Amino acid sequence: MGDMLNTAVSGLMAFQQELDTTSNNISNANTPGYSRETTDLVSVPGPYIGDLSIGNGVQVSSVQRVYDQTVASQVVSATSAYNQLNTFSTQAAEVDNLLGSTSNGLSSQLQSVASALQTVANAPPSSASRQVFLSQAQQLVSNLQSDDSSLQSLDSQANTQLTSDASQVTSLAQSIATLNKQIMADTSQSTQAPNSLLDQRDQLINQLATYVNVTTSQQSDGSVNVYIGSGQTLVTGTTAASLTTIQNAYDPSQDDLGLSSPAGAIDVTQQISGGTLGGTLQFRSQMLDPARNSLGQIAVVLSSAMNAQNQAGLDQSGNLGGAIFSVGSPSVLPDSANTGNATVSATVSNADAITTDNYILRYDGANWTLSDASSGASVAMTGNGSAGNPFVADGLSLVVGAGAQAGDSYLIEPTSGAVSGMQVLATDPSQLAAAAPLLTSANTGNTGSATIDQGSVATNGSWVRGNYTLTFTGPAAYQVTNSAGVVVQNGAYTSGAPINFNGVQVAVSGAPATGDSFSINDNASGSGDNRNLSAMAGLLDQSLIGGTTSINSAVNQLVTNIGIQTSQAQSGTTAQQAVLTDASNAQQSVSGVNLDEEAANLVQYQQAYQAAAEVINVSSTLFNSLITAVQA
Amino acid sequence: MRISTAEITSQAILAIDNQSSALQTTQNEVSTGLAVQNAADNPVAASQIVQLSQQQAQLTQYGSNLQSAQTRLSLEESSLSTATTTLQSIRDLAVQAGDATLNDSDRQQIATQIQTQIQALLGTANSKDSNGEYLFAGYATQTQPFLTDSAGNVSYQGDSGNRLIQISANQTVADSDTGATAFMDIAAGNGTFTTAANAANTGSASIDGGSVLDSTQWVPDNYTLTFTSPTNYQITDTTTGTTVVANGTYTSGTAIQFDGVEVTVSGTPAAGDSFNVAPSGNQSMFATLTQLSTALSQPADTAASKAQLATSLASALTNIDQDVSHLSTVSASVGARLNLLTAQTTTNTATGTTLTSQQSNLQDVDYASAVSTLNEQMVGLQAAEQSYAAIAQLSLFKYLTF
Repeated sequence: MGDMLNTAVSGLMAFQQELDTTSNNISNANTPGYSRETTDLVSVPGPYIGDLSIGNGVQVSSVQRVYDQTVASQVVSATSAYNQLNTFSTQAAEVDNLLGSTSNGLSSQLQSVASALQTVANAPPSSASRQVFLSQAQQLVSNLQSDDSSLQSLDSQANTQLTSDASQVTSLAQSIATLNKQIMADTSQSTQAPNSLLDQRDQLINQLATYVNVTTSQQSDGSVNVYIGSGQTLVTGTTAASLTTIQNAYDPSQDDLGLSSPAGAIDVTQQISGGTLGGTLQFRSQMLDPARNSLGQIAVVLSSAMNAQNQAGLDQSGNLGGAIFSVGSPSVLPDSANTGNATVSATVSNADAITTDNYILRYDGANWTLSDASSGASVAMTGNGSAGNPFVADGLSLVVGAGAQAGDSYLIEPTSGAVSGMQVLATDPSQLAAAAPLLTSANTGNTGSATIDQGSVATNGSWVRGNYTLTFTGPAAYQVTNSAGVVVQNGAYTSGAPINFNGVQVAVSGAPATGDSFSINDNASGSGDNRNLSAMAGLLDQSLIGGTTSINSAVNQLVTNIGIQTSQAQSGTTAQQAVLTDASNAQQSVSGVNLDEEAANLVQYQQAYQAAAEVINVSSTLFNSLITAVQA
Repeated sequence: MRISTAEITSQAILAIDNQSSALQTTQNEVSTGLAVQNAADNPVAASQIVQLSQQQAQLTQYGSNLQSAQTRLSLEESSLSTATTTLQSIRDLAVQAGDATLNDSDRQQIATQIQTQIQALLGTANSKDSNGEYLFAGYATQTQPFLTDSAGNVSYQGDSGNRLIQISANQTVADSDTGATAFMDIAAGNGTFTTAANAANTGSASIDGGSVLDSTQWVPDNYTLTFTSPTNYQITDTTTGTTVVANGTYTSGTAIQFDGVEVTVSGTPAAGDSFNVAPSGNQSMFATLTQLSTALSQPADTAASKAQLATSLASALTNIDQDVSHLSTVSASVGARLNLLTAQTTTNTATGTTLTSQQSNLQDVDYASAVSTLNEQMVGLQAAEQSYAAIAQLSLFKYLTF
């Protein structure tokens, strides 16, 4: 009976423990990261009495958390993938709102400029419509600049985001290291696993996954090592590294990520992916920078084309026109680690060939090489880098000074600063060159079938102004005389071939008769001429960029690309959310607390407890019966 | 499968969140009427919408270009019609001046009237549009195109430029004609040749403007018709030096034919009188009219000077007729361009309608489907809310007593 009492007491103790565990589960039903616990019971074997062995009751062997490493790590990886996409799509939507509006975007402002040009073309002397053009040009520059500065502020938001996320990562890493230390201590002292510490550590790793992708490796001493990015060590045992933002080697205004190491902070920007950090970095490199460069490219090509056209015509005063716009020059950013002191200057030599890429110019001690900054592909250059014969590649001219050391490099951004430095140079409405510089016409008495084009003049100052007459001295020979009758040029005639003299270029085609003549007059008085303007208005639809894409379609492509990237990120986010939900369901299915189940457990353990108590009661009754019997 | 109690709630909240967000999107579509507001909503449609808007804006600009061209061409048309009226009234005066009963001072008076009309014609030729641009100056629209020098000769100061206005993606129209085309470069005489009397003629014979009988036989050379006697004439091609008619018999008022043309000499020529026939060059209408006025200002008191006057008047009338017909040709070309503008306006309107409907198809919300989606989503959200409310009530604890 003593055994019976002891056995019953062991039951009471065990069931109390089970009730405690259940109570703990119920209390933590809403605790994030909590894994439900179960009490493991084993029966205590009793001694053999004769052939019989009756157990000595029950004993609690352990309290275990219900945990599946596989599903837990699925949640971690799904969390980081979801957060990357979600961050990217949220930030992309801002760019989409900014540039992707179908109603009042850049393209309609460009169209307004073209319309203003055509309105001037309807009555070139009208200074009112010329003024409208100038305001529209100014408006275009403001629009571009406001878009560009909004993108820039998104860039600085990205920097802020990186800084705060990096500090969160650092503080989580420190907490994980601290927990590692406690867990290692507990594990060495007790066989019972420190369940709540393990839960807390798992929860921290989960939180870490919202910032960056995480992999862990379980150590035999109970600690976990935590790696981020493509395997960069964040936590080893009780040591945590810190993730901070560091200045980009080339561009001090851009923050990169540095991971502390014994050798100092190492730039891990290229290695980081996943989580909000990965999303922000991806947004910056795949959407923000390309969008800014595209805007810059549009500004560079537009201003170069419109300037060239304006310079080829005559303004209201009858002089060759000047530049309408100016844009910011390409920026050259030396690597902060450069040991040499060579200066590198970059200029746009052919706006139409400019790309939206950035480049790295490297010196290996003997040669300079150029490569694409994002793909690393090498870019062929011509020239030798001197001022007289600069390196030329992709529309850029690069002049390198003396003093470079092997290993020096420079980041060249052809278009990133173009918009912020953009200006309308033309201040007076009369500076718009509406008229073509020449007015050519065939003599009414010509009997041949030859025709003359409208001609053009050199814009470098070599044009000798005045009226000229081109006369055919034979069907295949011509001479050009100036207004004083002096022959300035003669030569053999080829149909369609350009004829150059005094900075004038004309082409005659067809079969002229001997004695046919053409007048090539200075159009200084042609204030009602709109030929140059019509050409200018047509520039937006000309395939200027790379010889294949017009400015209008470049704007359209920019908008479409942003739209496609944003909508892909949005649908990716939805899909990844489902993956995360599934993983989290699976994890909760294993480790989550179900209150109904706990209620049933409560009943079960309560009843067992009552039964054990009853056993004590019975044992007591039996004992009393025995005493009574003995007394009797 | 086990479900954790906390998960039930978070799942339900996620579902409600997603439903609400979809509902908000649809509500936004219905309230703005736009299915595509940003490129991300539908990148392909957005790109087309942007292009269609560009084309719309271009069309609007073509519309205003059309109007501008229309205004200028209408103005030109009415200027040309004014010029024609002026020429007609000068022609009337010229006919009136041919009246043999008029004396020198009567003719002088007519000459003065003609001078006034010439000034009116000059005014018309120098007219400006509402932008202050000269209509008939070519590109030199800020330069007065017609100037009279001290000798009374009118010269053209404009140039040969024709301003082209873009009226559709690939069509342009000239919004004026140059002054040279309209008023200066007019074939003189009857358009093929001119006639003139030798200033030294002493007889009373005069020559008319002549006409072309068979243009294929006409050789554009200079000819001289010389009277060898009052009844006999000889015609020489002075360009080649060949004799065309060796000896013709002259009858006053009877047409003399040679080389596919005919001229009529009337009156009594003196032996040795001669008349010239030359291929037409260009002569401005101002030169024609000034010559007329000069001729009328000359005293015509002798038979010879009367004959000179008659020849001058005949030549002037031929020239004026030529001028009137020239103006009507120019006017017809203006009219054709105005018709083109009207036709293009119609085309552009139709294109605009097509563009608008294409854009609307891409961009605008289909209300029927959007509203039914909205209803579905509202039902869905309600269901999610109600089901959660019901499920949240479920608990074993409610049924157990401990």
